[in-house]
Amino acid sequence: MESYAIETKNVTRSFAGSVVVQDLNLRVRRGSIYGFLGRNGAGKTTTIKMLAGLIWPDSGEIKVNGVAPSQFTVEDRWKIGYVSERQILNPFLRVSALIKFTAGFYPHWDFAACERILQRFKIDPSKRIKSLSQGTARQVAFLLALAQKPDVLILDEPAANLDVVARREFLDEVLDLLRQDGKTVLFSSHILSDVERVADEIGIIAQGRLKISESLDRLKETVRKVRFHAFEKGVNGFVIPDAFQFSKTRDEVLATLRVEDETSLRALASSHRCQYEIIPLNLEDIFVEIVREPKD
Amino acid sequence: MFIHLNPNSGMPIYRQLFQQLRQRIVSGQLAVNEQLPSVRDLSAELKINLLTVAKVYQLLESEGLAETRRGLGTFVVGGNEMHSVVEKRKLIASAVEQVVAEAQHLGMDEGEVIKLIRQRFEETKRKG
Repeated sequence: MESYAIETKNVTRSFAGSVVVQDLNLRVRRGSIYGFLGRNGAGKTTTIKMLAGLIWPDSGEIKVNGVAPSQFTVEDRWKIGYVSERQILNPFLRVSALIKFTAGFYPHWDFAACERILQRFKIDPSKRIKSLSQGTARQVAFLLALAQKPDVLILDEPAANLDVVARREFLDEVLDLLRQDGKTVLFSSHILSDVERVADEIGIIAQGRLKISESLDRLKETVRKVRFHAFEKGVNGFVIPDAFQFSKTRDEVLATLRVEDETSLRALASSHRCQYEIIPLNLEDIFVEIVREPKD
Repeated sequence: MFIHLNPNSGMPIYRQLFQQLRQRIVSGQLAVNEQLPSVRDLSAELKINLLTVAKVYQLLESEGLAETRRGLGTFVVGGNEMHSVVEKRKLIASAVEQVVAEAQHLGMDEGEVIKLIRQRFEETKRKG
C-alpha cells in the first residue's frame, strides 16, 4: 500500500478562465489527521471536490487511496467517506430511514457506530431531516460517512454550524476513528483552535497554491515572528528575502520567518549590529502571517 | 493523570506534554517502575492525537526516563536518584580531567594521585 492516502501532482483547475487551484502537490500520510486551511476562495472546496471525484482537474494527477478519482469503482468509493460543505439530505426522510437507505449501498456498514454516534450527539432517529437544526443535520451527514467504515475520510468544514460542545464531541469521534489503525482524515476548517487540537499535519492554501504542508509541531517550532531593534547603524539595507512577512519602521524591523536554528538569526543580527527578540506564534497567528498579502 | 494542555499556545502540544511528564518523573511524583497509561488511553483522555502521545513516549525513552517493556507497556525508569548521579558525574568530570592533566604534566603516576585523593577524603572525614 502507498504511504500516502492522498497524493496530488501538479493539479490545476480553472473556472471560467480564472485559475482556482494551481500546481497543487498535496501529500497526506496514511494515518494522519490533515487540517486543510485557507481563506474563503483560496481553493479549498475545489481541491476537496477533486479529491472526492466530483469534478476533474484540468491537468495533473490525483490519487486517493492509491486510485485516481476518475477511475473509482464502486468498491473504491466504499473506502472513501466524504461530507461536503453543504450536504443535502432528503428533508422528508426520518433519520432512521435515511440510515437504513444509505446502509443499503455499503456492504460493511457499521450499525453499532451509528447507534453510538446517535447517542453521543443526542439525535432522535425518529425525527425527519427537515425538523433538525443545521448543526444536527451536519452531524447526521458525518454519521453516514463514518458508518460506511472508510479508509479515508474527507470532510469539508465539518464543524461549521456546530456549537462548542458539539464540536468537541465531533472531534472526539474523529479521533476515535483514527485510533483504528491506518485511517486517514482530511478536513478543512475555519476554526483554527479545533485544527490545532487534533491535526498532526497542516496544509495552508492561498490563492490556489499550497503554501505550507508539514507537521503542526514543525510549523510551531520553526515559524517565528522576530523583532529586530537597537540598530547601531540604522535599518537601511536590512532585508530578509524569504520572510513570510516583513515590515520596517524608522528604527525597527518586524519579520515572520523560518527559524530552523537560532545561530543564523544571531549571525544576521550581529552583521547588522542590532538586537532581536523572538515572539512565538500559535496556529492562528501563523495562518494569518502566511496567507496575508505582504505589506510593502 | 491530570495534565493541562493548551493547544492554542505557541508551544507544540507534544512539548507541553513532554515537559509535564518529565517534571513528574524527575521530581518523583511518578515513581520508578510505575506504568504510564497506554498511548491509546492517554490520547483518549487528553483528547489529542495518538501520534502525539507516541512521540512524547519516544522522547521520554530517548532521555532515559521511560522504557517500553515488550507486551507490557511503558514504565518509568530512573527517576530523581539516578538522574542526579548522572548530573553529579558530569559536574565532577571536568575537575577530574584537570587533576589527571596536571599529574601527567608533573610526571606523577596513577597510584600516587589515587593515594593523594584517598588521603584528602580521610582528612575531610576526620574533620567531620
